[in-house]
Amino acid sequence: MQLKQVTKRIGNKTIIDNLTLDLPQGEVFGFLGPNGSGKTTTIRMMVGLMRLTEGDIVIGGSSIRTDFEKAIRQVGAIVENPEMYKYLSGYRNLMHYARMVPGISRNRIDEVIRLTGLDKRIEDKVKTYSLGMRQRLGVAQALLHKPSLLILDEPTNGLDPAGIRELRDYLRRLAVEEGTTVFVSSHLLSEMELMCDRVAIIQAGKLIDIRSLRPGGVDSNGMGEGVPGQVLFEVDRPDEAARLLQEEIRTADGVPAKLDIRSAEGSILLDAMREDIAELNGLLVRGGIRVYSIRSVSKSLEDQFLEVTGGESVV
Amino acid sequence: MFNFAALVANENMKIYRRVRVWIMLGLLVVLSAAISIIASITSSSPLTMWGMIPIILMILMPLANIFCIIIAADSVAGEFTQGTIKLLLIRPWSRSKVLLSKYVSVLLFVLFSLVVVYISTFLINLLVFGYESGVLAQQTFQTMDKEMSAWSYVNQFFLMEFISSTVTVTLAFMISAAFRSSGLAIGLSLFIVLMGSSLSQLLGLVNKPWVDYVIFLHLDLARYIGGANPDRGLMFAGTESPMTLGFSLAVLAGYYIIFMALSWFVFTKRDVAA
Repeated sequence: MQLKQVTKRIGNKTIIDNLTLDLPQGEVFGFLGPNGSGKTTTIRMMVGLMRLTEGDIVIGGSSIRTDFEKAIRQVGAIVENPEMYKYLSGYRNLMHYARMVPGISRNRIDEVIRLTGLDKRIEDKVKTYSLGMRQRLGVAQALLHKPSLLILDEPTNGLDPAGIRELRDYLRRLAVEEGTTVFVSSHLLSEMELMCDRVAIIQAGKLIDIRSLRPGGVDSNGMGEGVPGQVLFEVDRPDEAARLLQEEIRTADGVPAKLDIRSAEGSILLDAMREDIAELNGLLVRGGIRVYSIRSVSKSLEDQFLEVTGGESVV
Repeated sequence: MFNFAALVANENMKIYRRVRVWIMLGLLVVLSAAISIIASITSSSPLTMWGMIPIILMILMPLANIFCIIIAADSVAGEFTQGTIKLLLIRPWSRSKVLLSKYVSVLLFVLFSLVVVYISTFLINLLVFGYESGVLAQQTFQTMDKEMSAWSYVNQFFLMEFISSTVTVTLAFMISAAFRSSGLAIGLSLFIVLMGSSLSQLLGLVNKPWVDYVIFLHLDLARYIGGANPDRGLMFAGTESPMTLGFSLAVLAGYYIIFMALSWFVFTKRDVAA
């Protein structure tokens, strides 16, 4: 799925400004942003509920603007709260959505019910369901037609810890085994950290950062391109080690590598690719520095999030 | 085409799997039975089947109309109020087709409610008063046509009611698509349709050519049956009234096209925001 320079203006107010994202197949992609940053607006545009002012969204080769029915066929989604027909049973709700896509058998409905753990209550009316159960029903309707792109807006909202874990494991399995691309928005940063391969952070309608969440500089999402990670070297003389590295290592632009020296802890911190870590170690050892430990440090997503959004509650 | 039938089946499920619709339809049956039975017990002079039917139809028809308007007004707006519209529109169906399936289900409900009124009225009166054959429409419904049978009048009456119900229901459906709040849509539609009859009385006094094109003057199509006086119940102060069945149908068709076009335009173009 691709978002190409997506812009949404309402009146003269720009809600989404030139947003471009590219999601490879089988990736679990997180979509983060403070309240009012345009997450839900973006999702509404992705599923065709809102029109794009400019740009285009392409899902599996079909544009949501010009070829809606074909594009949306591949999408399963929850947009905000999973509102269902309260006066119908859970089963009839699923049947309702199953009828709208050709080729969904009763077996598939039963399979999805089992998967979301709703077996015991599926014949009850939805008005008797708890928020967590409605959320499960929401996930069930999104999965019915085996979509290749799953868009979930705050899917863990209202789920108990066991439910969250189940959902997380299931989403990861979908991505790996069936190649489903999963697009999740959430405020729960720790949750995103456990679930996602990459996250995009938006603020005031603008994309401000995309980060890979697989630590150690190895890109685990199969894109083949390494992303540097933070590495901490624990050494006996951090200042000397830093000087040594800065003399030897140049970044691609030819400037000395950026280092963070933590004398008190006796360590230095720097960004490195996985392959380079051994080289760096060799360099230090040859320079007579005693290396006690090498660790890759991943900042918590919460730290990163606050860092890039400046911790403001921007509306 | 088969798939579109599934869409209509969905809409029907959403109408008939609710308790309220059965209360509405049950009320029509119960009311018709209650009136007949109470009349047969309390009346001092002997009553007949054809004597009661016009009275019952006069009471049940407006009620059935109101129920149809409620269902139509809730059809689109209800989805917005419940928030379910989001999940409904992210299926591989264009918005026009989703709207059409809703519209079809509403028309089917109009048809169904008229059938309920028809059957219950006849069956109940037949049971209470016994069958009465060979009655002419002139005696029971005061038509100009002296030959027409009462049966034939009633059948035409239901056809006319179906046409005018279709127009009012389409108006309610348009309001439903435009306002997106089922409370407002139901209230506004009922207000317009109920005000219509008093408004048409008032407009009868206005001596301007545009008055002839006001929708409310044309909703009572039953007055044309059997060559009845077209001005029955209306006061056209000294004007040469162009009112004929053909003219009324043409005016209604004009409104119908406008209502449909607006419903479609609003529903397919507007963003679905929170």
